[in-house]
Amino acid sequence: MDLEKKGGGIMIGKEISIRIIIAGFLIPIFLAACATTTDTYRDEKMDFGSIQTIAVMPFMSLTRDNVAADRVRDVFMNNLLSTEAAYVIPVGEVARGVSRAEIGNPAAPSPEEVIKLAGLIKVQAVITGAVREYGEVRSGAASANVISLSVQMFETQTGKVVWSASSTKGGISVWDRLFGGGGQPMDKVTEKAVNDLINKLLK
Amino acid sequence: MISLTNYLSRNFVLIVAGLLLFGGCGGSKESARREFHPRETKFPIAVFPIENLTGTAAPLEEVRKSLILQLNAGGFQVLEEEVLARFMARNRVRFIGGIDSETAQALKKETGAEGVLITSLELYSEANPPKIGLTSRLVSTGENPSILWIDGVGLAGDDSPGFLGLGLVEDPKDLLKRAIESITGGLGKYLSAGEEREDIKKARRKFQPKSFYRSEVIVPEKKYTIAIIPFFNRSDRKYAGEIMTLHFVKEMKKFSEFEIIELGVVRKQLLTLRVVMEEGISIAQTEALLSTLFADLVLTGRVMDYQDYQGTYGTPKVDFSAQLIERKSRMVIWSSISYNRGDDGVFFFDRGRVNTAYAMTSQMIQSIGEKLLKGKKSEKPLSP
Repeated sequence: MDLEKKGGGIMIGKEISIRIIIAGFLIPIFLAACATTTDTYRDEKMDFGSIQTIAVMPFMSLTRDNVAADRVRDVFMNNLLSTEAAYVIPVGEVARGVSRAEIGNPAAPSPEEVIKLAGLIKVQAVITGAVREYGEVRSGAASANVISLSVQMFETQTGKVVWSASSTKGGISVWDRLFGGGGQPMDKVTEKAVNDLINKLLK
Repeated sequence: MISLTNYLSRNFVLIVAGLLLFGGCGGSKESARREFHPRETKFPIAVFPIENLTGTAAPLEEVRKSLILQLNAGGFQVLEEEVLARFMARNRVRFIGGIDSETAQALKKETGAEGVLITSLELYSEANPPKIGLTSRLVSTGENPSILWIDGVGLAGDDSPGFLGLGLVEDPKDLLKRAIESITGGLGKYLSAGEEREDIKKARRKFQPKSFYRSEVIVPEKKYTIAIIPFFNRSDRKYAGEIMTLHFVKEMKKFSEFEIIELGVVRKQLLTLRVVMEEGISIAQTEALLSTLFADLVLTGRVMDYQDYQGTYGTPKVDFSAQLIERKSRMVIWSSISYNRGDDGVFFFDRGRVNTAYAMTSQMIQSIGEKLLKGKKSEKPLSP
């Protein structure tokens, strides 16, 4: 009986310690899932509804692809315009404004330059962006297209940043690793990332 | 009595035959040939030298000779070679991708030509299967040159392979002949019957713009005069901007609601106004251009990708954006993004596959025209 009790005690003790170990693994995982990380900054004082006209500046390309910035800017402008939330002025008009305002680096204008540009082309907001990653990524035998971009919006009365967000889409998924496939075409991945950013802006 | 093995083998044969037949049906129907009926016509035409937009060496003289030969065979009055050469030298005509008002006026006065046939060769590949892309337009001469007729053809030798590949075209000369027959056939039809527009088939759904903005300012019933300015070329393909401009002229002209200004006239006006476009046309430049051309809209855009492939394996890719700016409201009234691959939506036996960027671009632009006139509001799925 004693032996049985002893054995039972050992069994119960073992069960408890196993449960503690499992809980020790699971709790941090659940807690991590509860954590909120955001890549979006939004000025709470800004009245985004007052923005009627937006200028999208040439995007900065931090990739090896020379036309990546142009491609992404084109898609961003078109998709923003198609939401009908604001009017996006044509690229030629932005270029005219940049030239007249004598902005040295249109991809990263200073607050003063933003104010000057807005006075010339009559816009309430100026958007700048940077394409951080664009193209194919490889990992072992798997490959897929990936895009990573960040965008910020300047309010043109003070030249202050009122909204900033970033998005990364594409890349190698578990499916790609296991079965191959090469991921989605670059155009689709770009559109997804751009729509993600616009969703964050219009939220 | 039919045994089970006999029954199964007969079924197997039937299935295999069916698959072969379906396989033969694969490919686009772009190569539909038009019949060319010789006729008498008193419409003297000057045939300009072929504009080479292939980006490589191409047998331009051969193409031009074949075109003139076919026109002569059709009873057309083609301006003599020497007369045209003398006229071009005298008037210092160097640009052969269009005609401006002064040149058109001089051409009529000095040679008596009523029209000028401007032809651009977009694609010419002799690698098996051969490929060709050709666009021709007839522009009136005189004070106000206008596009009377425009048509083009994009063919690949394996467009319609048919049963057991019997429909394959392996000889580039044969393909060129087909392309020229198609063009002269359409021209003949226009000149004899005055038929400017044929009943066009609706563009396939997969070629619709991927996202677009359409302003409510557009009135579908109104007739718009459009000045199409060269597209910005951001692709690796040489002359992709000019090619895209030409495609837009060809496809937009199909719609009776649009009047397209001759490219040579637009070019001349851009030079006269000294319009330098760094990234795109500004509103001030748009206003100046449209007021001198008496047009309502200016169409511009960028070509991001324009790829054809050589040989059997590969797929064409086209990616571009287009914008329409209106003169009165000084605003963008249309903006769209389009991209496609020749094998989009192709799952079985290459059915629905498009072999040339030419044929694909035509469909993509036609779809833009349809959306523009449909009166539907902007379309863009916002869920990433």
